[in-house]
Amino acid sequence: MNFFRRFKKNPISSKESSDAIFSLSSGYITLETKLGLKNTGRSAVSIKVVDGMYFSDMKEDIQRFLDASQSDFGLTYRTVSDSYGYLWVIIEGKHMEDILAGVTAIGDTVEEKGFSDKLLATIFEFRSNMENIDSIQYLIYNYKRNNFYPFVPTGQKNRDTEQEMKILSAVEQEVHFEKDMAFWYPMWDLPL
Amino acid sequence: MSSISKPAWQKRDTGLTIRMVFSFAILTLLYLIFLSVLAYLGIGFIPIIIIASGMILAQWYFSDKIVMWSSGAKLVSKEQYPQLHELIERIVARNNLPKPRIAVINKNMPNAFATGRGQKSSVVAVTTGLLDILDTEELEGVVAHELTHIRNRDALVLTLASLFSTVAWYLMQFGFYGGLYSGGYGGRDRNGGGAMLIILLVAMLTWVVSFLIIRAISRYREFAADRGSAQMTGKPVKLANALMKISGTMRRIPTKDLREVEGLNAFFIVPALSGSTIGNLFSTHPPIEKRVQKLMEMEASMS
Repeated sequence: MNFFRRFKKNPISSKESSDAIFSLSSGYITLETKLGLKNTGRSAVSIKVVDGMYFSDMKEDIQRFLDASQSDFGLTYRTVSDSYGYLWVIIEGKHMEDILAGVTAIGDTVEEKGFSDKLLATIFEFRSNMENIDSIQYLIYNYKRNNFYPFVPTGQKNRDTEQEMKILSAVEQEVHFEKDMAFWYPMWDLPL
Repeated sequence: MSSISKPAWQKRDTGLTIRMVFSFAILTLLYLIFLSVLAYLGIGFIPIIIIASGMILAQWYFSDKIVMWSSGAKLVSKEQYPQLHELIERIVARNNLPKPRIAVINKNMPNAFATGRGQKSSVVAVTTGLLDILDTEELEGVVAHELTHIRNRDALVLTLASLFSTVAWYLMQFGFYGGLYSGGYGGRDRNGGGAMLIILLVAMLTWVVSFLIIRAISRYREFAADRGSAQMTGKPVKLANALMKISGTMRRIPTKDLREVEGLNAFFIVPALSGSTIGNLFSTHPPIEKRVQKLMEMEASMS
């Protein structure tokens, strides 16, 4: 990460963020072979809601784009607002490439409309079936840090740090990863 | 696991042996250079050698007692700590090692150490704080780390290594007074002051370099003990977890929701400088992050 960016408030450009996001296009295979983590095909982009016409314009643009590309990418979508004041655009697809393309296209639309500093995170959902215990695990892409970190919630506000460390060690070479654990912020009650 | 594609950490640790031989060669060389400088200046070093050897021998022979006494560790019986005894018995049985004596230190600070002359007379000590915060598998990882220290005879190695720096230190003192006397009374060497300066410089250099080498050996043997622990338990991730718990790294993982901290500009804070390079040179233990990272690499190579 650029040293001076730490002092600037400028958000990362959509070119940089899509480079980072697309590092998952091979990383997700490694997660499956090394840790048995299967991508569920579900992802969600979270955007801080701003009151006003421009923001609702942007939301409509996103929806128009997703409607139009439904047949090309095979993506379905819905939008949800959460109690923290975030808009979630939840997409679901069959192939990781389509999902990544969808996520970056949403990011581009947000940036075009001048709301790139409102982009918070995109989450990618994985399912593990190790030792017959089903568990849902996430990779969270943080737009401001421009990298991924793992999040494995276990019940009420607890997380499985050990499994998170395993995810880190499995894909830190391939995926743009957050190595400083002080930035591994949890996201509870995800609306997926 | 097939024997052909064994990951590097499961192979015999030849790197350790090579480094040991190399470090000792350098230390011995420094020591010899230093001695020849002294000999050139006509200082008899037999009394010095006798004193130094006696001290080092005593230090090694009583090492377990000295360490136990200074740490306040108390030997515990199987009746007092049945679970701890059984846990250690399990590991030593699996790895064909003699069972060490077991001691507990009544301190909240989580820590553990191994000491002793040989494999049979060695002691593994843990603090009550360590027993409190670690689960069984994490404790196994830590105990296996200490057992590797015993197996690798790290106490003896470090004692021998410090012999050189200790001797250098004492010789420096003797050299200082020797130079003073020969300059003051003998008068046979008009350059006594200059020679004394050279002795001091060489002694200081010898001491500093050997000190740094000992630190480097010690750090390397920590990595070796981590690797040995991973081999014994087959679960490097458990030791990594234990290290993070012991060091408080676990507390670095935030609990606040990303959406709550977003407005606080938390992502733009410059993290505090952690562990400068100079600090790393002087420390006997490698930084926890490095050790955790290496353990996680071992974990990744297993699956």
